[in-house]
Amino acid sequence: MEYRELFLSAIATLRSNLVRTVLTMLGIIIGTSAVILIASIGASSIAFITRELSQFGTNYFQIAPGANFMAAFGGGSGEPLTIEDSDAIRDAQIPNIETVAPIGFASRPVSANDVNKTYLVYGLTPEAQVMLKPTILYGRDIADEDEGSKVIVLGIDVSEDLFGNDTDPVGAAVTIDDAKYRVIGVTKSSGSFMGGFFNSAVIVPLNIMMREIRGDEELTEIDISVTDTEILDETMEEVTQFLRVRRNIKDGDENDFTLTSFKESLGIIETVTGLLTALIAGVSAISLVVGGVGVMNIMLVSVAERTREIGLLKSIGARDEDILAQFLIESVVITVSGGMIGIFLGISGSLLIATVAGLPRVVSFPWIVIAVVISTLVGVVFGLYPARRASRLSPIDALRHE
Amino acid sequence: MKHTPLIRLERVSKHYILENGDRYPALTDITLTIGQGEFAAIMGPSGSGKSTLMHILGALDTASSGCQFFRDRDISAYSPNQLAEIRNRDIGFVFQSFNLLPRTSVLKNVERPMVYGGIEKNERRQRALEMLALMKIADKAESMSNRLSGGQVQRVAIARALVMDPAIILADEPTGNLDTKTAHEIMEFIKELNKKGKTIVVITHEEDIARYAHRQIRLLDGRVVSDTHT
Repeated sequence: MEYRELFLSAIATLRSNLVRTVLTMLGIIIGTSAVILIASIGASSIAFITRELSQFGTNYFQIAPGANFMAAFGGGSGEPLTIEDSDAIRDAQIPNIETVAPIGFASRPVSANDVNKTYLVYGLTPEAQVMLKPTILYGRDIADEDEGSKVIVLGIDVSEDLFGNDTDPVGAAVTIDDAKYRVIGVTKSSGSFMGGFFNSAVIVPLNIMMREIRGDEELTEIDISVTDTEILDETMEEVTQFLRVRRNIKDGDENDFTLTSFKESLGIIETVTGLLTALIAGVSAISLVVGGVGVMNIMLVSVAERTREIGLLKSIGARDEDILAQFLIESVVITVSGGMIGIFLGISGSLLIATVAGLPRVVSFPWIVIAVVISTLVGVVFGLYPARRASRLSPIDALRHE
Repeated sequence: MKHTPLIRLERVSKHYILENGDRYPALTDITLTIGQGEFAAIMGPSGSGKSTLMHILGALDTASSGCQFFRDRDISAYSPNQLAEIRNRDIGFVFQSFNLLPRTSVLKNVERPMVYGGIEKNERRQRALEMLALMKIADKAESMSNRLSGGQVQRVAIARALVMDPAIILADEPTGNLDTKTAHEIMEFIKELNKKGKTIVVITHEEDIARYAHRQIRLLDGRVVSDTHT
């Protein structure tokens, strides 16, 4: 028996009952497109986060107060970090350390020209500016001589909110907590994730932040850059030991501060996103199995309807395996075509969503392979029972079937 | 006229087990030989066992007891696939109804036995067209089978039955669904085939159809009650 003939015959049969064929495929189409869509969007998100975070460089880690993981995201508590801690690390001459930047921030309403909006206010030293590398649109950055002066650098979005588009606000005044600050510059950071963060923030000298705005000596974090990324982990360990000694933490007690590298954060985010993606894609793959049950159901109906046809084929010399192959090919054609349509829809959908959401357009090829393999397997596995049933019909029982 | 035996049944019985567990004897102790080149009609009222007899003659079914020979080979214990091969190569069936594959062209219908017989594509097409021409229905080769009249369907069915050049044509009430005029046209075709040497067995309950044959085998309650040559 020629498989080409069987294939053509399967196509003709499926086309003759197009509505039923398409409805049967629908489960496979939905399952496959869901798997591809979710896996591709997951891959897009990881690519996006990686791209955004890597702009900050992987030669970088931060210290936050508090012992837990959330401290890295500003949720820590416990013994505060102070400017003295930061100075001590800088003065300790720990090898590989390039810059030590103490940072304090708070959320405050900022007003100018009768516009009043709440922004994140960062207290930075010039070292932090070195790490952030913003583009200066107007004026200049925070410099050493600004220490103690009420000067402010606006992110581009803040500048546009308060002073309008294409306006140079340098020299103008903004008000924070009833105190006037003189604008010395406007900066723009690239990237839309972390960069965008600074575009809608304002920056003041660190000691002004502490004295005038927060009214305490606590730092939110200390950011440290290194010269050699290869030995980042060793440097972090040295800083940890240094701080333990400095903060009198006994052997066996937990740290009351947390060190996080961008490399580490990136790894954590990638792992979490990857796991979530795999989980949801896996759940969608279950819908493929549900689609397979639909295929089996329809193939059983088809075998029942075509019993006399099977009898006729056997009377003209079809062997059991010819009938088996014929029905198996039909179910595989259904699931593979459904899989192909699903892959096409899944790719189109994920590219569309990525474009609209401004994510990198990534198509998950491993999941396409998985979807093709699963849909073919579904066709074989769920087509096998009906096809065996058809092939084992006795010719006379089939011919007599009404 | 003495014919070489083609199909031989020796004391063949066939019974079915009914749902209540009873045995229903469809054929009892049939001994019968169909010779090569014969044109036989198997007759009898419904329930007489003529369809069961045709199924056994056509290797669609096997006997419950007794021996069945095809060209002197005992096929009583053949496997389903061995029987399929005999049906494919040596037997051409024409049924009363549901003869053609739906959703399939006339040409593809006639080609189908050759697909199972492993015959190459070009030869399939050529032979199918020849048979359709022989049955004077070549102009319908590309038509879908469901677009044909009853008489046309039977002519296509005969073309398909002939296409593997089988030893015997088994026709089960081939004219049962046809009007009288078309029925006689079909029987004339069959008669012509027999004149060319093809062995024919027709199952019928109509006397005037049976008269086309040279031999009439009458069944009643699963037994042969008469076997006459004309």
